[in-house]
Amino acid sequence: MLDLLPQWLRDGIGDDVAFWIGYFTNGKHLLWYASVQYTVTAALLGGLLALTLGLTAAAIRNSAPAPFRLLASVYINIVRGVPDVLFFLFFPLVFEQLVEWIWSAQICTPETLALNTGQWPPCDAANWRLSTPEYLLMASVSLGIVYGAFTANVIYGALRAVPYGQLEAARAYGMSRFQVLSRIHIRQMWVYALPGLSNVWLLLIKATSLLSLLQIVDFVTWAQRLGSANYSKIAGLVHPDWRWQYYLVLLAFYILVTWLSERVFGALTRRVRRGMPIVAEEAM
Amino acid sequence: MSVLEAIVHEIELLAMPALFNIYFAAAAIPIGFLFAIFLALGKASPNKLLSRLSRGYIYFFRGSPFFIQLFMFYALALSFNISVWKPLGIDWLVLHPLFLGPAILALNTTAYTAEIFYGALTTVPRGEVEGARAYGMSWGQRFRRIVWPHLIRIAWPAYTNEVVFLFHATALVYFTLPVIGDQKDLMNKAGELFERDYKVFLHYSVAALYFLCISLAVFFVFGLIYRRMMRHMPGAVPMRFNFQRMLR
Amino acid sequence: MKQLILAAAALLALTLSAEAQTVKLGSEGAYPPYNYVDEAGKLGGFDIDVGNEICKRASLTCEWVANEWDTIIPNLIAGNYDAILAGMSITDERKKTIAFTQDYFPPDPSTYIAPVGKNLSLDTPSGLRIGAQGGTIQANWLEQNAKANNTLLTYETADQALADLNAGNLDTILADKSYLDEAATASNGALELTGPELAIGGGVGVGMRQTDTDLLKKFDDALTAMKKDGTLDALITLYFPEREGGPFYTE
Repeated sequence: MLDLLPQWLRDGIGDDVAFWIGYFTNGKHLLWYASVQYTVTAALLGGLLALTLGLTAAAIRNSAPAPFRLLASVYINIVRGVPDVLFFLFFPLVFEQLVEWIWSAQICTPETLALNTGQWPPCDAANWRLSTPEYLLMASVSLGIVYGAFTANVIYGALRAVPYGQLEAARAYGMSRFQVLSRIHIRQMWVYALPGLSNVWLLLIKATSLLSLLQIVDFVTWAQRLGSANYSKIAGLVHPDWRWQYYLVLLAFYILVTWLSERVFGALTRRVRRGMPIVAEEAM
Repeated sequence: MSVLEAIVHEIELLAMPALFNIYFAAAAIPIGFLFAIFLALGKASPNKLLSRLSRGYIYFFRGSPFFIQLFMFYALALSFNISVWKPLGIDWLVLHPLFLGPAILALNTTAYTAEIFYGALTTVPRGEVEGARAYGMSWGQRFRRIVWPHLIRIAWPAYTNEVVFLFHATALVYFTLPVIGDQKDLMNKAGELFERDYKVFLHYSVAALYFLCISLAVFFVFGLIYRRMMRHMPGAVPMRFNFQRMLR
Repeated sequence: MKQLILAAAALLALTLSAEAQTVKLGSEGAYPPYNYVDEAGKLGGFDIDVGNEICKRASLTCEWVANEWDTIIPNLIAGNYDAILAGMSITDERKKTIAFTQDYFPPDPSTYIAPVGKNLSLDTPSGLRIGAQGGTIQANWLEQNAKANNTLLTYETADQALADLNAGNLDTILADKSYLDEAATASNGALELTGPELAIGGGVGVGMRQTDTDLLKKFDDALTAMKKDGTLDALITLYFPEREGGPFYTE
């Protein structure tokens, strides 16, 4: 990308600077910058799913028949016991095997089954060939499931914090249970939920650093590749181990995203707090 | 092998690796606890420089993923190998995962715990502290008799959560630091077993079971400690693991 | 409902058959000169050139996928790609899970690399910190022969092992001689190849799923042709100028 600069500028900044600009904008580095898309996609999709699951699970836990409440409770509490890394690795593998199992029951003929004894999948035609888009989708779903449980916890607490008098008044006006839930309960809940939700969002963003564990060539993998010492001239610039500098850039990126998210949530909180009869607190 | 036999065998195989995770957590927690107290006091200090530095440290470690912190500090320690650790003769210690893992964990948990302690610090009843000052107590006496008891009781539930999260974070250590010989932790061992026979449910479920049981144990023990700490307070919330409350 | 199922089945058949036209080849991308990621971010190297040549001769459209070394075999079996060309040596243990074509690179001795002037006794190493890339034949050999008296460290990529060696965290590394030759040259005299040359592994071959017998035959035929007319030898000389004893395959 150095050739995009006009010649007089290239002469003006000198050879050294020009070299480094050229290096940090070569194909490899551009791919590194572009791979941020995976992180952002996973965070947004995962966040959306987490919010949906969280709202559903919290609503169920609040007011539904006992067996459903127990299920919702188990779902919400299981993340307190199992690391998110484990879910992250576990879920895509399980999902893939489930899909392949269903396919193999329908597609596999006895001949192909006999060919493949002892291995998975049972026959070759039932093999689901995965590539980056599928892995990214499954990673987003895993993130959504894990952080959905956290979100459900936050929203459940927020639902209970809405003054009960408001709900009683709505019922007295003749609103159906669903109308009370959607018009009054959930709308009033946001101001209590936002601090907790912002916490969960920050955890979610940091969890996107684990995408490389699912064979997605993301931000972190590229930093590893670029930073690793290169001892071979044909592979490009010969350089010693620069890894910690590249990782520092990653850390700076995440801190920047954290800072931006805090600003956005602050603005959201201010908006949601308009006209609400509560005292503005500093750190909830 | 029947399913039950397979599960029991799996539990045996993963018992030793579980100890590595427990070791990482147990080594990092006391250090984190101690330094967090100083960091929280630093953040609340009227000294501008100290306060800014403390805030910066907390913001850095809470705002970035632990996974990448592990990578970065390992690479950083490595780059100082020839210039600093070797001349001092401690390179075998500094670069060993059993030292570096807990060290980076401690750096991380100090920040999170300090934030919890700082939040608790701001809710210590000001009247009590002023009364103590009026009585002529020194800073040390005030801290020991008034501030600290309040702080630890207010912070304990959130701190319990942090300890469990720390334990979960130990699963990431061997994804980033080199594995020396047979010193494998739960995730590493489960992954190795999985690569041999692709039985996702067996290996990863039993690993999850270990994490779940140890997390529950931590919640239980810390709950007992909380009840003991709060035994003289009116209307204290019992931190029992109450199934009925889960259904309500 | 019936139409929906039919439509879904037709779509599935279409995608399956469309996939059958493109063959995906997997490589590591971190083992120069066999395979590496070049400045433009694309895979390049000896393995890539051999793969492209095979595909040309077998009239297949090939796509390259980069995959890390420690999951390269499981992901082949899971179907993320159809063949591995990653400087992978043919060994009996690997033959249990995957099939290999004939070798396209003659058996490469493995040897040690260490900082110049260290004078380590490597015939029977003892008390040393030896590094290797995890999941390689060298790591396997070290586990069986040197684990008792030494500390073994395994790394995700060969470059990381070299980085640790340069940082003084290791005493020596055991790896393929062809890989270490380049590293020693690039170190400007800081590192040298030392120790005995060990014959581990039986040449580098293309790894495939055991059920893909058609593809295996196509690749084998293409390789035989490449050996006959000297193309393979030319590629070897291009990427491994230090390798003595050629030409290997031309009659």
